[in-house]
Amino acid sequence: MENAVSTPKAEKHRSSALPLLILIAAMVLVGLVVNLFTGGSFLASKNLEVILSNSIYPTFLAWGLCFTFACGYTDMSMGGVLVLGSFAVCAFGNAFGYVGVVLGGLVVGTLLVFINFGIFASTRIPSWIASISLAMVYEALAVALRSWKLTKSAVDAELASGLRALGKWPLNAVLLVIGFVVVYFIYNKTTVGLNVRALGGNTTVARAMGINIPKTILCVGLICGLLVGVGAIVQESYNVKTYASSGLTSIQLIFKPLAIALLAQVLQKWINIIIVVPFCSVIIYAIFNIMTFFGVPSGTLQDVCLGVFVILFGILGQRGYKGVVK
Amino acid sequence: MSEAIFEIHGLNKSFGSTHANRNINLSLKKGEIRGLIGENGSGKSTLISQIAGLYGSDSGEMFIGGEPYAPVDAYDHKISMVLQELGVVGNLPVGVNVFLGRTKQFTKYGVLNGTAMRKAAAQVFEQWDLPMPPLSARMGDMLIETRKMVELARALSVDPNILLLDEITQSLSLNNRQKLYQLLQKLKAMGRSVILITHDVEEMIEITDTITILRDGEVVGELVSAETTPDQVKRMMVGRDISGDYYRADMAPDYREQVALEVKDLTVPGELEDISFQLHEGEILGFCGLSDSGIHAVGKAVFGLSRPSAGSVRLESKNMEITKPMQALDNNMGYVPKDRDNEAMMIEASIRENFTLPSLRELTGPVAYVSPKRMNRLAGEMVEKMSVKCTGIFQSVSALSGGNKQKINLGRWLAKDLKVLVLDCPTRGVDVGVKAYIYGLMKQAKQEGIATILISDELTEVIGMADRLLVMKDGKITREISRGAEFTEQAIIEVMI
Amino acid sequence: MSKMKEKLRKLNFQDVVPFVAFIVIFLFFTFASYNSRTGTFQMLTLRNLNTIVSQAMITIVVATGAMFVVAQGSTDLSVGVNLALSGVIGSYVAYITGIDWLLIPVSLAMGLIVGIFNGVIVSKCKVSSFMLTLAMLIGVRGLVNYLQTFTDVQSIPGSLSFLSNSAVKIPLFIVILVIMCYVFEFTKVGRYSRAIGENETTAKFVGIPTDRLKIIAFALSGLMAGVGAIFYIINMGGTSNQMGSFLEIRVIMAIYLGGVLVTGGSSAKFYKILLGSFSIQIIITGLALIGKSDVQYSQTVQGLLLLLILFLSMLAGSRRRRHVEHLEVSEEAGKAKVIDRK
Repeated sequence: MENAVSTPKAEKHRSSALPLLILIAAMVLVGLVVNLFTGGSFLASKNLEVILSNSIYPTFLAWGLCFTFACGYTDMSMGGVLVLGSFAVCAFGNAFGYVGVVLGGLVVGTLLVFINFGIFASTRIPSWIASISLAMVYEALAVALRSWKLTKSAVDAELASGLRALGKWPLNAVLLVIGFVVVYFIYNKTTVGLNVRALGGNTTVARAMGINIPKTILCVGLICGLLVGVGAIVQESYNVKTYASSGLTSIQLIFKPLAIALLAQVLQKWINIIIVVPFCSVIIYAIFNIMTFFGVPSGTLQDVCLGVFVILFGILGQRGYKGVVK
Repeated sequence: MSEAIFEIHGLNKSFGSTHANRNINLSLKKGEIRGLIGENGSGKSTLISQIAGLYGSDSGEMFIGGEPYAPVDAYDHKISMVLQELGVVGNLPVGVNVFLGRTKQFTKYGVLNGTAMRKAAAQVFEQWDLPMPPLSARMGDMLIETRKMVELARALSVDPNILLLDEITQSLSLNNRQKLYQLLQKLKAMGRSVILITHDVEEMIEITDTITILRDGEVVGELVSAETTPDQVKRMMVGRDISGDYYRADMAPDYREQVALEVKDLTVPGELEDISFQLHEGEILGFCGLSDSGIHAVGKAVFGLSRPSAGSVRLESKNMEITKPMQALDNNMGYVPKDRDNEAMMIEASIRENFTLPSLRELTGPVAYVSPKRMNRLAGEMVEKMSVKCTGIFQSVSALSGGNKQKINLGRWLAKDLKVLVLDCPTRGVDVGVKAYIYGLMKQAKQEGIATILISDELTEVIGMADRLLVMKDGKITREISRGAEFTEQAIIEVMI
Repeated sequence: MSKMKEKLRKLNFQDVVPFVAFIVIFLFFTFASYNSRTGTFQMLTLRNLNTIVSQAMITIVVATGAMFVVAQGSTDLSVGVNLALSGVIGSYVAYITGIDWLLIPVSLAMGLIVGIFNGVIVSKCKVSSFMLTLAMLIGVRGLVNYLQTFTDVQSIPGSLSFLSNSAVKIPLFIVILVIMCYVFEFTKVGRYSRAIGENETTAKFVGIPTDRLKIIAFALSGLMAGVGAIFYIINMGGTSNQMGSFLEIRVIMAIYLGGVLVTGGSSAKFYKILLGSFSIQIIITGLALIGKSDVQYSQTVQGLLLLLILFLSMLAGSRRRRHVEHLEVSEEAGKAKVIDRK
């Protein structure tokens, strides 16, 4: 597998700092230009807040996807987990206050994603199709929760207005910063993080160096679960109410995170992937925001663009991507 | 010095029906530098991988200092390795690569102390006098040589009692080779033992104390380096029964005038450079060289599987250039790749599917109809003709032995009306009986005027079968030798190395 | 007797499971649908069987195309949205031009174009087919939704309504089935596709133009999605907003439930499409018969069933594969072991 790593012509020591500055400068520049075209409303503080707030929960999911990709898996059921997690946030939050909001999201998210990874690792069914099956089950569960008398009122309600702070400025930004620090540390500065990257980079070496692969995978499941859980908390707090529908529509929920994670994979050549994810998130949401400004109908033509982005970033970032069908 | 630190008793390993190692015994003394040498496929890499714990063993025992040793966690027993199959993790920093899998020692409250780890890594490089790479750079941005040095540092960082080195010198520059030699002396002085593999016989004699020679998965001899010569080692390496009459008896080139295939100035970036030769009808043209010399790339390129940056492959009978494998398939060419199970066989498909795959075009009737009946007939005939041992044409190939698989691999081309046949190591991993059978088929093909390219790691085979021989080195043809007096191993090895 | 035993021994675990599953599913719903009041098995009523056949029809038609892709070890999740796109555009063109029969060629062409697009991207850009077709699933659905904002729901053009007559529809269906079966089982395209699924490197090294075959497979998949669109319009009397949704999963499930491995190859046999499609349809109809028609039941059952069947075929597959792993040892083992078949 060493051969998969292409040999560079010369050795160089790269740092993330300069490319990151370039990226930020480019974002600001494009922002200013668009601002001119929109008559100043694009960079209006209100609009910026919308973009930033919108991009926070997908950031958490995209981090989760980065970890998932690192072990060579693709988890398409995260959308379903997000819905169930949001339900838990709403139901337990309304019953127990902020403790319920936080614990509800984290427990449900962690538990379900952990189950997913357990299934991937133990059954060896290709993760993309296994996770689609799981997504079907989770969706069905969500629909059932909404129709059962016992749970309907708890799940179908809005999150109480006093409990929504985690989805709003500035607490959501605080969450993002904390999340970033934790994820950055896990990915770059812990044994688990290094092991999972070793696993994704070269499984043979990882195994020969005595890395416990099943344990590492389950640890990643745990981390992803927590990230999806936080995503659910932010999402529910921001959107107040989550709708459940069947027919694999939940996959649509993780499509923007997927686009973000794929774009981050393209950019990780220059910038550490954990650092670049939030920026990608802002970029993606800004693009859709701009589209709305120019009257591109959301839900229809914007979805077309989303599909195009995923294909494009998938083509560009496929290097170092594995574990999916041919 | 006489104390044996490591012993192997009766180690066996087979992969499917292929014996990789048979009844290996080996005893390593403290402070001994042991060389393992043998031809490709002789089982030396498998042996070293078994010691390292990459492969399990079917039977046999290993002991360290008299204690039974089960290589589940080689590091715990202070055995460390630089193996070909391993490598580095490109997406991690250099420093992390040195301590991969053992980063826990640098964590405090779950957080890794990167500075401490880099310091420790730097210490390893200093302690063993290795060139210091940029420790926080991405491993994937490093050159191959640096990667090897990092692997070496990784192995040394556990302060090993036994160090396993598999083909490390060939990717090192002269300067670093010297450093490695010094390192070996240092280890020896410290009473540490080393097992190393290298293709370079002279180098091996120079740097080792003793040499174990492997052939066909068996230990055929142990020599003391100071008392041996390269010739003796080489003889023992290849010294199987060459007198066997399954090779050609005649000692002169014998082929038709008519050129079947002409390769002109073929260049494939990174693999081949300016390759030109003519292949005649009824000729067996041998290619030999070390495994990285480009001989295998020639086979691929001739069959249109590479993307050459310059040059051409011309099929004379059709007066056309071969640029795509489909053209080769459609124009009476055949290719038997080297890695049978991964490149040639559809392991889980049936014998019939495997036999008929290249002949489907010929079997296609009107309205694109591929008749199962005709497929059955062809497969049945070929099973009989090639005497494949099986329960029927619908049996899955995975259940067959290596020799029978190879018969299918070869037979599926012989079922066609061939003009050119490219064979890449056709007798790899098959027993002597099948080998003789395959040589018989080659002779027969030669009689029929089929032009054959024979690429082989086994010198004796090429010498035994080829009309002409092209010796390759670093992607270039260095010498052409015709069948005759010059056709000896010694002469060829001189050119090869 | 001994001959019988021999035959039984030769029967592949992997080929038996889908049959057993089909029979179990069928018997379960037959008995569960027993209506004690009328004393009949509702499952077995003519009307119900008729429903099952006509509903399974679309799944089967689309699956006959997708089968080529699955046989190559790839996947096509875009068939559902492709069906919707082809149907919507086809009927819209027929509507604005006023030429009814245009529905058919336009739908087919549209399906074909999307399929070829998929094939070209997968083979030339080396993107995983799963990723690509998933993106298509979202993107094309967006396009369909957008188109439907101004095309409205179109009903089947009057002069084509004769097609919905069973006497026309069923023979048409059978003809299509026979043609696709022929192409899959008895031509080079089908055989080469399975060879690619077995071992792509082998296929390439033998001289099979793998890129071209991938494009052909996706093109056929797209074309059959176009045919499926026509059948949908015939069956349902026109386009709808929910056209083709979830169909990709039903098609994929039908193929896997029939016993085809995710890796494709020689496990792909045409009859398995019928087996799997009917299994799925019996589950859906059966659940409705016993009063569990809600989506949460059918989707849970389908999801769990898919996991189970994949797990079983994985077991069967790994049992066969285990001793082949690492078979070839050599100096180049490290390089060779980067097995392409992941």
